[in-house]
Amino acid sequence: MKNSLNFLIEANKLKEIPRTGWVLMKVKNPETIAEHIFRVVISAWVLGYLKKFNEKKLVKLALIHDIVETYAGDKTPFLYWEGLDRKKTEDEEVLLRGVRLSKEEKERRGEIKFQNEKNSLLKLTSFLNPSLGNEIFLLWFDYEKRISREGKFTKQIDRIETLIQSIEYFGSKKITGGTSWWEGTEEIVEDPMLLDFLHIIQNKFYGKNFPKNKELENILDFLLEIGKLKRMPRMYWILRGIKNPETVAGHIFTLTLMALIFGREKKQLNQEKLLKMALCHEITAICTGDTIPYYLDLPKSQKERNEVFKKLPRLLKEQKAKKFFIDYKAEKIAIKKITSKLDSSLRNEIIKLWEEYRTKSSPEGSFLSQLNVLAALLQGLLYQKKDKNFSVGALWEWAFEVCDDPLCIQLMDEMKRKLHRK
Amino acid sequence: MDEKKYYLTKDGLEKLKKEYADLKNIKLAKTEGEVPKIWHSEDLNPEYLSFQEDLDFLNSRIAELEYILKNTEIIKVPSKDKKNTVGLGATVTLEEAGGRINEFTLVGSLEANPSLGKISNESPVGKFLLGHKLNDEVVITSPIQIIYRIKKIRYNLT
Repeated sequence: MKNSLNFLIEANKLKEIPRTGWVLMKVKNPETIAEHIFRVVISAWVLGYLKKFNEKKLVKLALIHDIVETYAGDKTPFLYWEGLDRKKTEDEEVLLRGVRLSKEEKERRGEIKFQNEKNSLLKLTSFLNPSLGNEIFLLWFDYEKRISREGKFTKQIDRIETLIQSIEYFGSKKITGGTSWWEGTEEIVEDPMLLDFLHIIQNKFYGKNFPKNKELENILDFLLEIGKLKRMPRMYWILRGIKNPETVAGHIFTLTLMALIFGREKKQLNQEKLLKMALCHEITAICTGDTIPYYLDLPKSQKERNEVFKKLPRLLKEQKAKKFFIDYKAEKIAIKKITSKLDSSLRNEIIKLWEEYRTKSSPEGSFLSQLNVLAALLQGLLYQKKDKNFSVGALWEWAFEVCDDPLCIQLMDEMKRKLHRK
Repeated sequence: MDEKKYYLTKDGLEKLKKEYADLKNIKLAKTEGEVPKIWHSEDLNPEYLSFQEDLDFLNSRIAELEYILKNTEIIKVPSKDKKNTVGLGATVTLEEAGGRINEFTLVGSLEANPSLGKISNESPVGKFLLGHKLNDEVVITSPIQIIYRIKKIRYNLT
């Protein structure tokens, strides 16, 4: 348990590391590695669904594909180099166009990157029990070397997600958007369906006229909606006065990672279901905004709010139920709307997963809702580490009310031992 | 090893019985239909794997439900002399210094939903409350300490 918590704390850093490409392109407050991972996982799932691939494997591959960057950082040796100087015209051009390298140089840079990332992953997984550590290492190796069809597919999805993000940041004009993202993507993507998906992206953003494909168009729209969660800071932390807090996407990344680590120890739970449930447990925020349970009316001043947040609100059972049903109804409408264009079977699956989580009506839903509280507690404790005046009392209270699973209680105790400030 | 007891309200038991019957029907429908082929060219057919995995989880949930249903104890309203003690099924009204009121109903793990005010008897807060009597002071020591006085205990079981 101690080691799993250490792993989580380290991997949590991915929620604070911005992606290098965007930093170099001077994007203000760019996405973090964790937020990128989040949409890659969702993309791998919904696009892999159409291919009838092993969805559990796809979700796992996509979830761990960039965790090596915890220590290795987000290096982009094929696009840029250390010491790039945007004041120089030639460097500015390379940013838009991509660097040109010989095959040997690409291999040399690729090998350095691979070794760095491998060492980073070995360091990170050394916190875990050997069996889980090996599984994660093999998944990453599969992705990196494109061994299985799911590994190949995820590698392509990673590029497509980055491409979509570049269009969201820079638009589709060559002068601002550049071509490097397209070049990088078109070098990698080979799957016929994903090539069609690139056509759909071109139709939507570049006014091209490739053959229509309603199913892929709908998935693109869905993924664009999902991308909003990367820019949505969690309301609770905002109200608590945290500057630049984790986003909803960042939180979902943490929870899905927790589902991977701890779900494995709950043999009676369906691991695939748990992972997918973590992924969609809060996508309703796209429509409803990020809501917080229990709190009804909050004072306007930060000082008064800080006082209120020291404890959970004291409410009658009826008041709790009333707040729950207000949120639940709004979220139910939201989940139906967000998934309305997806294939009906996938749509039903997502709605059912969300429902089971929200009402705790399945063993997976009950377990995940406990992990969800612990994810918030962990984040709160990490914020407290940076600011000793930050109170986590309400989060402890919440965890004490919600957790009854022995594994969750063990994790909570470990958090207390390792992170609680007296 | 002692068998675990599952405490359920009548309502909760009915829901589990329904889930059990539904899953049995799903399993029947699944196994009566055409089973996907194991091989797809040279690879294992993912549809077969997915079918097999679904079936494995169906079987495991059915077995789990059978175990739960075999080991269920219905939560009942306690006898008159025990109605002033916090037990399973009790809705407890708690008063904190300053007059702030909080309320929980204690249920078994399978029916817990703290957002609805229903907390598990196996949660730390649930464990702190169990066995206390009306007007008792209850000290809940998570890393922060909360002191409540038990103001009311009700048993409204359906």
